[in-house]
Amino acid sequence: MASLTLATIVALTSWAAYLVATRRIGLRRSELRGAATEALAYLGLAVVFLLVNLAVGTGLILGLRALTGHFISVYVVNDATLAILSLLQALVLHCWRERPR
Amino acid sequence: MRGLRILGAIGLLLFAAAAFTPLANNLNAWMAGSPTLERSDAIVVLGRGGADTDGVLTNRSLRRVLRGVDLYGDGLAPLLVLSGSAEEIRARATLVRGFGVPAAAIVSGGPAYTSVEEAEQLRRLLLPLGKRRILLVADPIDMPRGRALMERVGFIVFPAPTAASGPSQPESRLRLGCDIIIELSAWAYYRLSGSL
Repeated sequence: MASLTLATIVALTSWAAYLVATRRIGLRRSELRGAATEALAYLGLAVVFLLVNLAVGTGLILGLRALTGHFISVYVVNDATLAILSLLQALVLHCWRERPR
Repeated sequence: MRGLRILGAIGLLLFAAAAFTPLANNLNAWMAGSPTLERSDAIVVLGRGGADTDGVLTNRSLRRVLRGVDLYGDGLAPLLVLSGSAEEIRARATLVRGFGVPAAAIVSGGPAYTSVEEAEQLRRLLLPLGKRRILLVADPIDMPRGRALMERVGFIVFPAPTAASGPSQPESRLRLGCDIIIELSAWAYYRLSGSL
């Protein structure tokens, strides 16, 4: 039920955004497919950041454990904020890449 | 660029499958296996997540200890063994006493921070007392690794996982999906390092 509710909300707001974008802002419908493809590339970048963050985090924790003998839990990296920060990292890099070189 | 798009599509599909389908629930139930609630020498509640600085147990630690109290109440074993970090054991002991489990039935291992350490601590604690048959309480996804480690040090293990149906909310399913990935990584790490 919760899944259906969330999907309905997102479908409704996406439809509303589509109407505003095409009728008020004047965006071309033909460009939507390209935009979605570009969004996938941005998501891919976020996945790369997330994987690297997880690998570096786990490596650091295991390294510190071995070097200091002090216990640090690997579960520290199992945190939703890491995914959000990875999205942010990808967004900044994506926007930076779009700017004139 | 093409590689990133493919990676993004895979990420999106995994996200949708984890959050909006019962995939994580099914994996959870599969990893739990069937509970075997046999009369045993001790109920062993493995540590999970410790306790906050104010002594409040994490959700998972709390679920496990409640399951342990439940099994003790059913008379399946005369001992309730609490494992985990020092703070977790302290908070759990306070809680189970509050539920009326007599102090004489509560046994605590020394503080342990990893599953391997827990298995070793419990071996030293229980096997010399002849307590070999244990009801093992752990989350469904942690049961295969926990069980294998306990059997490796010499216990006869009867699994008593906490509820295995899993959550129904998308966010909780997503969290469970992440936990499954981490548990499988831990399993692989233990295999590679020779702990399993």
